[in-house]
Amino acid sequence: MSGPHDLGGAKDFPGPIDKSQHEVEDWERLTDAITTALDGKGIKTTDQHRRAVESLENYGELGYYERWAAATEKLLVEKGILTKEEIDERAAEIKREWGGE
Amino acid sequence: MSGNGHNHDHPHPGTGRTATPHALRVRAMEKLLVEKGVLTEAEIQDRISYMDSRSPANGARLAAKAWTDEAFKERLLTDTKSAALELGVDASGPVEFIVVENTPEVHNLIVCTLCSCYPRAILGRPPDWYKSFEYRSRAVKEPRAVMREFDYEPPEGIEVRVHDSTADIRYMILPMRPEGTEGMSEEELAELVTRDSLVGVTEVGRVR
Amino acid sequence: MSFADGESIRVRDLDKGGHVRAPRYVRGKRGEIVHLLGEFKNPEDLAYGEYERPTKPLYRVLFRQSDLWEDYEGNSDDTLVVDIYEHWLEGA
Repeated sequence: MSGPHDLGGAKDFPGPIDKSQHEVEDWERLTDAITTALDGKGIKTTDQHRRAVESLENYGELGYYERWAAATEKLLVEKGILTKEEIDERAAEIKREWGGE
Repeated sequence: MSGNGHNHDHPHPGTGRTATPHALRVRAMEKLLVEKGVLTEAEIQDRISYMDSRSPANGARLAAKAWTDEAFKERLLTDTKSAALELGVDASGPVEFIVVENTPEVHNLIVCTLCSCYPRAILGRPPDWYKSFEYRSRAVKEPRAVMREFDYEPPEGIEVRVHDSTADIRYMILPMRPEGTEGMSEEELAELVTRDSLVGVTEVGRVR
Repeated sequence: MSFADGESIRVRDLDKGGHVRAPRYVRGKRGEIVHLLGEFKNPEDLAYGEYERPTKPLYRVLFRQSDLWEDYEGNSDDTLVVDIYEHWLEGA
């Protein structure tokens, strides 16, 4: 019924709240930018994005921007704009370019 | 005081080479989307600049002006986007904004239990803690315990009101102007307003 | 059917899968209409690309925390406000 995202009152995360702030990384800025740029062009909407985030099987294991990245990919593939395979290929290529760190 | 908006010059959407699987896939998506003409580099850069240029300082300035100008305060509470624009903060877009005012009777707290809705167009990116499962799950059920973790205890007898942003409205708090600030300039007042007080986990100028 | 400011309502526990924005913790609970925010497209439709369905009224709904949580530890007059679509509400 309700997905893994419906957290109000959930007892699994008693805290304390971690108040540390990580420096936002470039890939995270990029994730945010791509996601919202696609919204801006009407290619997807916030609601579709949320639905995609909520449907992630490993929701609880992913970090915030990882969820966004996975949701954006899911929507792009769903809409036939990109394929998983081409993303796989290009990601591997980039990793090689960067010396596979 | 929480993050001031820093202005990095990003000639390209970031040169950081984080090579985790998700980060690599995002880089791949960027390249592919641009190659296929779905997005342009400029469009991507615009979004980065948009977010980088927004910060809690905007909220602080809105609060400070509301404290010193009753008519502006009224506009801030009834038509937030227009009021923000008066101070050069462009919060235009499909979402609505509502500013809720802290009073001697009510202390407000903002959360988005379902995701991480936050007044980004005014305040910029939400802090990590706001997006945490701990905050999202506990802010609605034990707001006072959450505030205690931020070293804030609301005054005796005050009503704590939590706002869960479940729809396309974004909330921000107008904190109460603390005592002892008579005669301060708007600029000086703005410096007192922290990001955390705009979300409601603390109040301005009050510590336990 | 629309709801008036101050009217007592209950949140329906609709058996609806997929993308919904009425959180679990208010389902079946009694609250009070603060006011109508306006008519908006239903996120439950938008999430699946259905842009043409009619808009729905969206309300600010106020709950007493002591009605939401059995073991609520704050003040008895603490409250919580959620934005809820009309089809999730019924008179109470």
